[in-house]
Amino acid sequence: MALSTGKYGKYDPQSPTKDRITDIGPRHFWEFFPPIIQRNYGKWLYHEVLEPGVLVHVSETGEKVYTVRCGSPRLMSVEYVREICDIADKYCDGYVRFTTRNNIEFMVDSLEKVQALKQELESRKFYSGSYKFPVGGTGACISNVVHTQGYIHCHTPATDASSLVKAVMDELFDYFKSMVLPAKVRVAVACCLNMCGAVHCSDIALLGIHRKPPIIDHEVIDQVCELPLVIASCPLGAISPDKTPEGKRTLKIKVERCMFCGNCYTMCPALPIADKTGDGVAILVGGKLSNRVSEPKFSKVVVAYLPNNFPRYPEVVQTVKKIVEVYAQDARKHERLGDWIERIGWERFFEKTGIPFTEHLIDDYRLAYDTYRTSTQFKFTEAAWEVSRAAGGIE
Amino acid sequence: MFSPKRPQKEIKYQELRIYTDEELRNYTEEELKEFKIKHPIPDVEELEKGPWPSFVADAKREALRRRKLADDRMMIDRYVVEDLLGQLQLSFEDGETHWKHGGIVGVFGYGGGVIGRYSDVPEKFPGVAHFHTIRVNQPASKFYKTDFLRALCDLWEYRGSGLMNMHGSTGDIILLGTTTDQLEPIFYDLTHELDQDLGGSGSNLRTPSCCIGRARCEWACYDTQDMCYEITMHYQDELHRPAFPYKFKIKFDGCPIGCVASIARADISVIGTWRDAIRIDQDAVKAYIEGDILPSGGAHRGRDWGKFDIKKEVLDLCPTKCMWMEDGKLVIDNNECVRCMHCITVMPRALRPGTDTGVSILIGAKAPILEGAQLSQVIVPFMKVEPPYDNVKELIDKVWEFWMEEGKNRERVGELIQRVGLPKFLEVLGLPPAPQMVKMPRTNPYIFWKEEDVPGGFTRDINEYRAKHKR
Amino acid sequence: MMDEIKKAIIEFAESSRKSKFYFKDMEKAVQEKVPGAKSRDIKKAATELINEGTLIYFSTGSTTMYGLKGRGVTEEERQQG
Repeated sequence: MALSTGKYGKYDPQSPTKDRITDIGPRHFWEFFPPIIQRNYGKWLYHEVLEPGVLVHVSETGEKVYTVRCGSPRLMSVEYVREICDIADKYCDGYVRFTTRNNIEFMVDSLEKVQALKQELESRKFYSGSYKFPVGGTGACISNVVHTQGYIHCHTPATDASSLVKAVMDELFDYFKSMVLPAKVRVAVACCLNMCGAVHCSDIALLGIHRKPPIIDHEVIDQVCELPLVIASCPLGAISPDKTPEGKRTLKIKVERCMFCGNCYTMCPALPIADKTGDGVAILVGGKLSNRVSEPKFSKVVVAYLPNNFPRYPEVVQTVKKIVEVYAQDARKHERLGDWIERIGWERFFEKTGIPFTEHLIDDYRLAYDTYRTSTQFKFTEAAWEVSRAAGGIE
Repeated sequence: MFSPKRPQKEIKYQELRIYTDEELRNYTEEELKEFKIKHPIPDVEELEKGPWPSFVADAKREALRRRKLADDRMMIDRYVVEDLLGQLQLSFEDGETHWKHGGIVGVFGYGGGVIGRYSDVPEKFPGVAHFHTIRVNQPASKFYKTDFLRALCDLWEYRGSGLMNMHGSTGDIILLGTTTDQLEPIFYDLTHELDQDLGGSGSNLRTPSCCIGRARCEWACYDTQDMCYEITMHYQDELHRPAFPYKFKIKFDGCPIGCVASIARADISVIGTWRDAIRIDQDAVKAYIEGDILPSGGAHRGRDWGKFDIKKEVLDLCPTKCMWMEDGKLVIDNNECVRCMHCITVMPRALRPGTDTGVSILIGAKAPILEGAQLSQVIVPFMKVEPPYDNVKELIDKVWEFWMEEGKNRERVGELIQRVGLPKFLEVLGLPPAPQMVKMPRTNPYIFWKEEDVPGGFTRDINEYRAKHKR
Repeated sequence: MMDEIKKAIIEFAESSRKSKFYFKDMEKAVQEKVPGAKSRDIKKAATELINEGTLIYFSTGSTTMYGLKGRGVTEEERQQG
């Protein structure tokens, strides 16, 4: 049998349920495991990173599988996937794997094959010069960025994702291809507060944010939206029923209650929230989800807003780079970014990175009190002296 | 060792293929260098530069391919990729997205798996007037054979934009951009020819996902792929036909390192663990100390961190300080170990997880919308798991029953637990409370005593009271 | 029982001012008319109605609702005029 051709292929629009197959689930994983993986399933003893991007896993059977890991743009064409297949056919008997962080993994059974494979991957470049398959993303590095759709496919984004990732990774490229950091640094991008990418536990999270309340399209709102559902969708109860001067049913928004989450827009297209000057990027740092050494924790907002300066986002990229560089220099071995900050203190983090501490960084949402300092244990930095001066405490 | 729940079609690209070899090589690198898409896209093209793989340079070759394919060799607009890049340029200029809301598109009988998308500037970019996404349920832990991928590529280039994500945030293969009339033909070929179903979206069970597990990791404490597959198959109805208050995610991590991020991202996080002793090879410990084996499996080899210091790098970083050296031997007080795995990751050849393995089940993680971000919380500290995982299914069923009954529209289960309180949730699940479930006991004394907690109940006689106490 | 539930669903869908509604709201309405109807049964009935072409799913991508086919303007219909 072949894949079908023609407008509807083998599907018959006149009888949509004819021969219909449903609920069959995904293909089973076992057939996709390379034979060496099948033979050694559950028998692995240990692994080692031989060089950036190259892993060896050693089995109790004595077999070794070598993995060459490389980055991908996540948003890819079938041409790119076919190229992956060409490489997998040439070196890996037609097997290949993707990681949770959008890396590609090619597995082979000898070191000789590793070198040839690596050379092949590194030699493949786009006409514009960028790598197609940069080898790296292992150990104490900055691995590939998990991200969302942004302007490529989303209706609620406050920034774009693919371009932001490209801009950031171009700048952090050397960290992807090396293992010089104190610990791994996980970077993630989500283009609005909905966080499809669930970036809230990343070492560095870049988050698209809106800063202006929705505009109400009074003309059509009652026809295209279910008003009670929209009212209920607001987490802060800022939306209530209203009438236009002509007597049409519409909504009103208590602007001072709006936290710019865009939930109402998700429920109702007549409440657009995106805005060129309002939208931008917030930076959150210090989250992690591994249970290693310290418990998993959320990322914290350290920059409330930076502009969407397309297509290269220089302000965002430079801030991220600065954070990584200070961390790389200052943290102890094995210390994740969040653990480093907790050791030196947030006041020291702001001092060392030069990131200004603003009122937007102080929580005033629910449970805000949990984040307030209720101790005399703090370090003095310039920011503290400023408060002292303002309070008339020092000259 | 493992087998599918039903016989599967074997996938042979040579039998399935749509495009000939000639069609697959229909452009040259020279042509690509010269190629200009139909819209001016200076800002988008800026992203072709730099070392990181450029999605723009990549998309352009698909655009060129489509220019050169015959009319009847693609079922949606030839210029779909060019229009997408054009719309991206316009979005950069406007600082706002140009996509509209979803809608009712989907395949017949399924409430998820397809996300409707429409351009709000279709007159400028007719190729993306309709640009719907299809989510395809990935195989557990994302291993593939090229036959499958190549067939999928042909199908998607023929009936869609040829652009995709490997993979989406939840784990699915994301096919980006097709028209409404192609949804059913794509679904037909996916199911009939590739023996492959769609993933989830909307208020249903989202496509479950898992880490690489025992396929290539020495730390996986259970068969993550097998459980992921079994649960996915068992709950196909919940995955395709939404009747939940909101989305529901289940993820399977083989160990507490959490490579698939279940603790931050899944309503039910199944995390591998063990309850016996960490296995120690004392000779290997010695070898690490003497510098014969590189610590952390070489993960730090890019920088000179000095000689390995077991005290500084392992013993002192142990969160419970339950390990020490005694007469040149490493001693671990396993009773006090919280299985953070740091020591194991630093000395992988000396230390391994125990052999009495199972899972911890944590519930309730989610991104910030609506009530703020949450991490999953401990519900079952330890559970043995064997196929067909009836104990896990029973727990899932109980959680769903309660959530479907009590959950409000668009309320995730973690928010429901917050609203009704953990004690109530435990009561529903029939589980006793345990200190493992909290970071600390409550600090306020506002306890909601129930009538049955107190001898004699709540009903009292005011006259009896007054007999002792004057008004 | 199944027919009763289906009838109650259609009645709710037709009487509702809303062109689309959550499963929960439909469930509540059905349980008022058919006491003892379990949510699993209501889902089964809704699925049958979908397969018969009476009900349709409506999805924002993150949230799914049900609707009566032919009621409420969808993006698709709007585009086709």
